Amino acid sequence: MKTVVYVSPFVPQEWIAAHGLQPSRVLLEHTKRVAIAQPAAGVCPFARAFIAFGLSLTDESAIVATTECDQMRRAAELLAGESSAPLFLLNVPTTWQTTTAHRLYISELERLSAFMVRLGGKAPTKEELTDVMLRYDALRAEIRGARGSLSGRAYSEAISRFHREGAADLSAARAAPLARGVPLALLGGPLTGEHFRIFDLIEEAGGQVVLDGTETGERTLPRAFERRRLHEDPFPELADAYFGTIPDAFRRPNSQLYHWLKGETARRGIRGIILRRYLWCDTWHAEVQRMKEWSPAPVLDLDVGDDDCESRAASRIQSFVGMLR
Amino acid sequence: MNDYPRRITLQEWDAHYVQLREAGMREPPYGGTLRRHVEEGDLRLRTLLFDNSSAALRLWNFLLTEEDRLREARTAGKKIVGTMKDLGTVPVMAYALPNVVAFYPDGAWWIPCVMELSEGLFGIADSLGIDEAFCPVRAMLGAFITEAHFPVPDLLICSAGATCDDFSAIAQRLNGLGYPIVWWEIPHRRIPDPDEERVELPGGFAAPASQVAFVREELERLRTVLEQFAGVPLNDGALSAGIARANEVRRLLAELRQLTFTAELCPLPALEMLIAEMLAIHFCSDQAETIEVLRELLREVRGRVEARQGVLEADAVRVFWVNPVADLQVMNLLEDCGGRICGTEYLFSHALDEIPENLPPMEALARMALADPMVGSAADRAARICADTRRFGAEAVLISRIPGASHCATEGIIIAEAVRSRLRIPVLEIEVPPLSDSIKPMLRTRLEALIETSKELRKTCCVPE
Ligand code: SF4
Ligand code: SF4
Repeated sequence: MKTVVYVSPFVPQEWIAAHGLQPSRVLLEHTKRVAIAQPAAGVCPFARAFIAFGLSLTDESAIVATTECDQMRRAAELLAGESSAPLFLLNVPTTWQTTTAHRLYISELERLSAFMVRLGGKAPTKEELTDVMLRYDALRAEIRGARGSLSGRAYSEAISRFHREGAADLSAARAAPLARGVPLALLGGPLTGEHFRIFDLIEEAGGQVVLDGTETGERTLPRAFERRRLHEDPFPELADAYFGTIPDAFRRPNSQLYHWLKGETARRGIRGIILRRYLWCDTWHAEVQRMKEWSPAPVLDLDVGDDDCESRAASRIQSFVGMLR
Repeated sequence: MNDYPRRITLQEWDAHYVQLREAGMREPPYGGTLRRHVEEGDLRLRTLLFDNSSAALRLWNFLLTEEDRLREARTAGKKIVGTMKDLGTVPVMAYALPNVVAFYPDGAWWIPCVMELSEGLFGIADSLGIDEAFCPVRAMLGAFITEAHFPVPDLLICSAGATCDDFSAIAQRLNGLGYPIVWWEIPHRRIPDPDEERVELPGGFAAPASQVAFVREELERLRTVLEQFAGVPLNDGALSAGIARANEVRRLLAELRQLTFTAELCPLPALEMLIAEMLAIHFCSDQAETIEVLRELLREVRGRVEARQGVLEADAVRVFWVNPVADLQVMNLLEDCGGRICGTEYLFSHALDEIPENLPPMEALARMALADPMVGSAADRAARICADTRRFGAEAVLISRIPGASHCATEGIIIAEAVRSRLRIPVLEIEVPPLSDSIKPMLRTRLEALIETSKELRKTCCVPE
């Protein structure tokens, strides 16, 4: 079975699985891969890691890239010319408040379907799609339900593994309540494999991530499917659960992100926000100061470059958490 | 009375202005010396070289008095719409309405250069978290806050989607500061699939019919917004008339570009050509006057071409210039080094191509919007650059990297490779900050090397296929 790889949360896992292909929202490797990707200066390290990853693939896989930012759009162009894996560029509109934007997203999913059929997949019937959606929805519910019994890192890793492999591995869950440090939100773009270490750094400093608002974490889980709409017609429900509700900085306007954060911050008693952004990522960079002005809780701006210097990040996190204790 | 065409300093313009006045030069109400703009803060003019014609004087004065025009429009009860990012589409719609003036706050891009950083706009952007990792358009934020460079528009319309991250992020920051924005989506232009209906766009690109239909719907939404804003209907008849007026500007520019870029002797310097091209985007807040300014400039250029007069050496190397340059002085520098501009792609070729007049107006505008070189692939843009380089017979391509710009990191390489492989002519990529004085010697060396290489190549062959 061909694997369809992607990094964007706006590529519905179920849509790929329902076509009989293996979806995998991959976890990129930051340090190893980034060195071989060209060009370097001015390109966000995550986009570079994506380029490097795409170049390493064979035609056993296919890539779905998205247009959420200029850098990814251009990375996709580069890969379309140079990767051995076939590539599909999914146009994810940045606007979301209009019916035209929703329709565009739906039509893009239809185009993706045609692409997957060309890869050897089969367009699903309504029933087939419904079954797959119910299965994934149940797995997501299971993962969400385990949040209180997982450490911040384990919870995020479980979400990431689910995105990668379509399975809910909750073996790290503990029955006893977890010891808690200063409750923090981690916000920003996607993590790479090496970056899960940040959860440990935060815990070592006396904090605890109780809200993973990175692109890899719970922020980008689609909402639970509404059963009545799902059974009436699963495809529009699928599109709406993803496009209609996932909050992100790139969306225009990106008020959903602030709305979501406000609610979760209050619900989880968050006392500080760590905004982690890649160098050259304009999308998140531009939110830093706004977030500081907006948030009642203090915000730490943590930038991630090519040579991710852990000791620098650790000392900044330490001072930040120290200030909050 | 015009002297032999040449580039002159601001100081020389002082005396020349007096002579022209004495010789009976008639000026529009916004006319006057260039010097007064320096006194108003446009300090960069002190270091620039200008064309010495009265037509060029009018062009500069027209450009540098836009703020006054906008304030006068407001006083006269006109409504002001700030159109953002799309560079050329929405103003055509706005100017089809009576009582509406449109301009691009994006134009603040050049203020730090023109005012030699004396205005403090970057400092304000910095304080808002938009530092030098972003392109110079971040000056726009400061301009909104100070209200010292343009009046705050009554309505803001911004394209989003397949745009640069810089602008999208900065516009969002503006929105977050409490400035309401009407967003509209411009999708990434893609190559039509084999089984899809294909639409040819102005300028030579193609897009799937479904994308054109989508953009048309988005523009229809803007039509409603503009109608409500202006309080009058914006019907197809008015839009068609607006397109015809925009096309008049574009035709004048097309002739100006053709004459200037292909003449044996360069009849108009690069700086004046850059400003003239920029008029196509939003008509510098006065569409009718834009037409008059361009007509006069064209008359001047025609006269010079007929008289075989030019402003540069006859053997100047013909250079195609990619991207606007953050420091205007570098356009002069290229000429000082022995180059001349023969072809440009300043990020807005779609604002120069004629809008089809044989289509329903919204369809025509949708096609134009999708023809934006920045909403498609870098390969598409490179193809257009190669085609235009050939068309104007340029001997070298210069890519001017914009500091911080999200698109520059990758597209320069793609464009350079395309030019080298298809045209086999020299390509140079330089990065120019808003004030380049400290790196001027280095820039000069690199530009001279480009010119020398191109001249060497003349000896060996070398007409691009
Ligand atoms: S981190 Fe930012 S720049 Fe990088 S790929 Fe994601 S949105 Fe784009
Ligand atoms: S110069 Fe480039 S990065 Fe800056 S606003 Fe224009 S297109 Fe965007």
